[in-house]
This record gives sequence, structure tokens and C-alpha cells, in this order.
Amino acid sequence: MIRRISLRASGFAKNSFLKSSRFHGESLDSSVSPVLIPGVHVFHCQDAVGIVAKLSDCIAAKGGNILGYDVFVPENNNVFYSRSEFIFDPVKWPRNQVDEDFQTIAQTYDALNSVVRVPSIDPKYKIALLLSKQDHCLVEMLHKWQDGKLPVDITCVISNHERASNTHIMRFLERHGIPYHYVSTTKDNKREDEILELVKDTDFLVLARYMQILAGNFLKGYGKDVINIHHGLLPSFKGGNPAKQAFDAGVKLIGATSHFVTEELDSGPIIEQMVESVSHRDNLRSFVQKSEDLEKKCLTKAIKSYCELRVLPYGTNKTVVF
Amino acid sequence: MIRRVSATSCLSATAFRSFTKWSFKSSQFHGESLDSSVSPILIPGVHVFHCPDVVGIVAKLSDCIAAKGGNILGYDVFVPENKNVFYSRSEFIFDPVKWPRSQMDEDFQSIAQQFSALSSVVRVPSLDPKHKIALLLSKQDHCLVEMLHRWQDGKLPVDITCVISNHERAPNTHIMRFLQRHGISYHYLPTTDQNKIEAEILELVKDTDFLVLARYMQLLSANFLKDYGKDVINIHHGLLPSFKGRNPVKQAFDAGVKLIGATSHFVTEELDSGPIIEQMVERVSHRDNLRSFVQKSEDLEKKCLMKAIKSYCELRVLPYGIQKTVVF
Repeated sequence: MIRRISLRASGFAKNSFLKSSRFHGESLDSSVSPVLIPGVHVFHCQDAVGIVAKLSDCIAAKGGNILGYDVFVPENNNVFYSRSEFIFDPVKWPRNQVDEDFQTIAQTYDALNSVVRVPSIDPKYKIALLLSKQDHCLVEMLHKWQDGKLPVDITCVISNHERASNTHIMRFLERHGIPYHYVSTTKDNKREDEILELVKDTDFLVLARYMQILAGNFLKGYGKDVINIHHGLLPSFKGGNPAKQAFDAGVKLIGATSHFVTEELDSGPIIEQMVESVSHRDNLRSFVQKSEDLEKKCLTKAIKSYCELRVLPYGTNKTVVF
Repeated sequence: MIRRVSATSCLSATAFRSFTKWSFKSSQFHGESLDSSVSPILIPGVHVFHCPDVVGIVAKLSDCIAAKGGNILGYDVFVPENKNVFYSRSEFIFDPVKWPRSQMDEDFQSIAQQFSALSSVVRVPSLDPKHKIALLLSKQDHCLVEMLHRWQDGKLPVDITCVISNHERAPNTHIMRFLQRHGISYHYLPTTDQNKIEAEILELVKDTDFLVLARYMQLLSANFLKDYGKDVINIHHGLLPSFKGRNPVKQAFDAGVKLIGATSHFVTEELDSGPIIEQMVERVSHRDNLRSFVQKSEDLEKKCLMKAIKSYCELRVLPYGIQKTVVF
């Protein structure tokens, strides 16, 4: 881990650098070779003078060392966003104390949002994945999850398409003990109550090419974030079959967009977008292939950003993505 | 000049040898021969062809070129799936003494007739007159300035016949002084809601080969397009079909997109809906304000429009289906 030297490094360096890294074998007393673990804190409040000073002092006072700090205050907008990455000694600064300390500052500034996350201690995000027939996004996410590149707990997979038990996905899920729920929908019955029951204990949902619209009631009932991947460069080509829409429109660039789901179809705050060039030499098949590659990358990036507390709401329909 | 040896340059051995004998001589023993017939100057030509697909088109076209001693340096063929249509674009060098310009037109024309071509265009840049264009703009002039500078640098191979605008410009501004220095007329034609003065515009541009709308914010009616009859290229400062119409940059800013773009396209009756020629994007984030959105957009517009015009002048752009383009 690369450590940028902070102002208070001298106290740190003496204890941790010299002793713990050089003379590792010599001291068995953990109080002189603390294990430092990473933490992330995001803060969103009305803008005022002194916020950064307060937040950084809070971290430093408990011996935490800030390794990265992003602050964003938009023009003409009396709002403040920050995201800090720091390392700290959980012995010196216990986990619940971290919560309390930041909470105090949050109250001081009437924060709209103050979230701290310590990846090595806190439970992983619990997510459910929903999909319809196209499963390239799901497969990508399952493989990344298996490789440890998607730091979540997949509680279940829900689909309105049935899958035979001897398919790659079903065998994968079975091997890893992840339940697959076939919830068939009709025009009149989207069975959202059942879905809600299945996902109510998750932290957020991922629609990985789930082609059913989730009603306002469902979103309200669920109450947490839902991330969708749309295989088009929003706001172009909303709705069904955007790759074909793009192909017919003769565009020279196609893209994918990951965004938060709102009542309105394909219109929620955008998290990430990616493009690729297309030309007359592309047929519908290659449009679709390029689109699928983009969807996988775009969705994975969005989920990773979200889990790392990089994504914050901005205005009515936008996001800050640190 | 790097010469790719094409498949058809396996001309008869004698023909090939005679080429190298002469041109090799001209490069090595330049001072020794004053007879131009033994050191031919080879000039480039471009031919595009668009017709219903059949067997044998490439053979016929390449043979036509080879028979007159032309050497194909580049060849693009495109036949879309499930579509009985053929596109090709060839770049070749030839000796205009062996293959006179008018003969070239005739030779390609007879092949065009043979294959009932929808389009057969040949262009010899060093002999043919440059494309004559008129530039139209409204208030924003970054695109015009870019084009004028490129034109001055010789990077935009056109003849600018005039500039037309519905905004007035004072004579001591950069654009006006530039145009005056180069003898390009500027026509201030103010439009109102009722009168788009299209008849006046038509009169000014009727002798041009195509028009460029470089941030001209007035809609050209179907009548104008029909009467003008030739291609009109527009730059739209948005990634079509997103953000059609006015102020696409602000639309994009409000929509919270993470990528903004520009699109150059052919103008049709319907606003911002004609066949797309070129698109370019750039990343934006929460750190961008409207000002930087606009700045990034302007940079994209300039590049995108320039690329489209260059492609068009080099005969790279062909109509494809109802609403698309082939861009070689």
C-alpha cells in the first residue's frame, strides 16, 4: 500500500514505519505494530467554511491517516460533497467510535448524508440480481464475484425466464449456494410483492438486463437503490431493443448506460456511460456484440463505484461520481 | 509515395517492367532525360461506385484502371448482408497522358451504365476544380473560424464562395478582416419568424457544390432543400438522436450524462434527423459546469465538422439505406 506522508506522519512513522516494517520480528506487542485498515467516508451537506478542517481533524485526532481526499462544491450551489480514504488503527479508533465521531460532525452540519465504511470489518453489501432472458451481464458479474473483484454478497438471482438446471448459470449458482427464483410475469401481474419479499433484506438491487418495469409502488416499498444497465447511450434509444434502434438510426457510436432506477423508464440519474465506434461494416449482430461488451463493463464499473461509496446524488437527476 | 502492390498490379509482365523502367529512370537519373514521355508524372485519382450487386464488378473496375496503366493503391469494397447493393472506392495513380481526363470519365461511365450504377463518381484532385462551398452560420463562429483557418492552411481542399449569416458582424472583427483579406464575400441576411429569406440564400448559393451549416440555427425548409438539390452538411452539438433542437449542451448538462458529443449529418426536412456522417464524444463529470460542457462541445464540433467535410470531399461518404451512410 502506497502511503502518502501526512502532516502527522512523524508520530505514525516512528511507531509503524520503523518498528513494524523494519523490526517486524522483534516485537510481539501489537500496540507497537498496529495493523492499519482502510476506511472510506463520504459526506454531503450544505456548504460552509470549515467542513474539511473538521472532518480531517476528526480522522487525525484518532491517529487516522488520510490517503486520498476528494472535495466537490458545485458553482452556484450551496452544497458540499467529500469522500475521504484513510487508514487507521481499529484499536485506537474502534469501529463504533468511528460511527459516533462522524455522526457528531454530520449533526453539526445537518448533513444530508454521512456514510462511513470499513471494508475489512463491515459486512459486504447484500445484493439481488434480476434478469430476463439475456444473461451475459449476469455471467460477467458472477465470474467477477467469484474472482473476488465484485465485493458483494449475492443473496439470490431472480428471473422471469426459466432456466434448465444443466445450464452454466444454474450449475454455477448451485455450486455457490445462491438460490435462483423463477418469477414469471404477465402483462397484468408483475408479481412485485413476491419479488419484494425475496429482496427486502438486500442493500441494493441490480437489474442485469431485467426487462420488466418496476412500478413506483415497488420502488417505494423497497426503499433502497436499484441500479440498471441500459444497452444504449441514454437519453437516446430508451425502451426495448436499443441496439436495433441504434442500428436503424445509422449512428456511428453506440453505448451503454448504467443508472439508478426511477418510476420513469430509463430516466434515472446516470452513473456511468461507455461508447464504442460502429460503422457501415457493422451489422446488427456486431452492434449487439459490441453493445453486450459495453454493458458488462459499464455495469461492473457502476456497481464497483457504488460499493466504494463513490456515487452520490446531485441535484434532481444527476450524480457525483468520485 | 508508398505504393501498395495491389492484386491487379500483376499486369502483364511487360507493362509492369515498362513502368519501372521509366519511373525508375526518372528518379535515379533525373538530370539525364528531358523527354517527359520517359518520366511520366503520375497523379492520383479516386473513383466511387454504387450499384446493385453482381459477380464481376471489381474485376471490371480494376481492369478498366489497369488497362490504361493506372495503378490501384487502395481499394475498399463493401457489400452489406442481405442487401443486394455494392459499394467500392478506389484510389489509384495514373498517367494523364496515357489516360486523359475526359477518357477516364467515359470509361467509368460505360461501366456505370453496364451495372446500372446508382452512383459513379471519379475525381482527380490535381486536375478537377475544388468543391465550391458556401458556409452558413448564425452567432457562434468557432466552427467557421476553424474552417477558415484550415482552409488557409490548405487542409480544407475547397473553394469558399461566400459566407452567409443571419447575424451582422462589424468590419473590424477577426472574421470580417479575414474574409476581406481573402476576397470572400460575407452576406448578412437577417431572418424573421415569417421570412427565412430562402430565395435570397438560394440565389447566393446556387452555383456551389454543397453547403456547410457551421452553427446556422435556422431551419432550412423542404422547398429550399429541393430547389438547391445538392448536399447540405450540418454540425449538431449533441450526440444525435439525443438532444435534438436548441441548446443541446444545456439539455445534456441538465440530463446528467457522463458523455457529451457532436454529430455531423446531412440535412433533411426533419430537424437534426438526416443521415449521420461522423460522431465524436468526450467525457464529462460532476466537475464540469455548463461553461466547460460548452467548451468541450465546441472543441468536438470543430473536429467533427472538419472530419465530415474532408471525408465528403474525398468521396468517402455514400448514402446507405434510407437513413444511413457508408463512410470509407
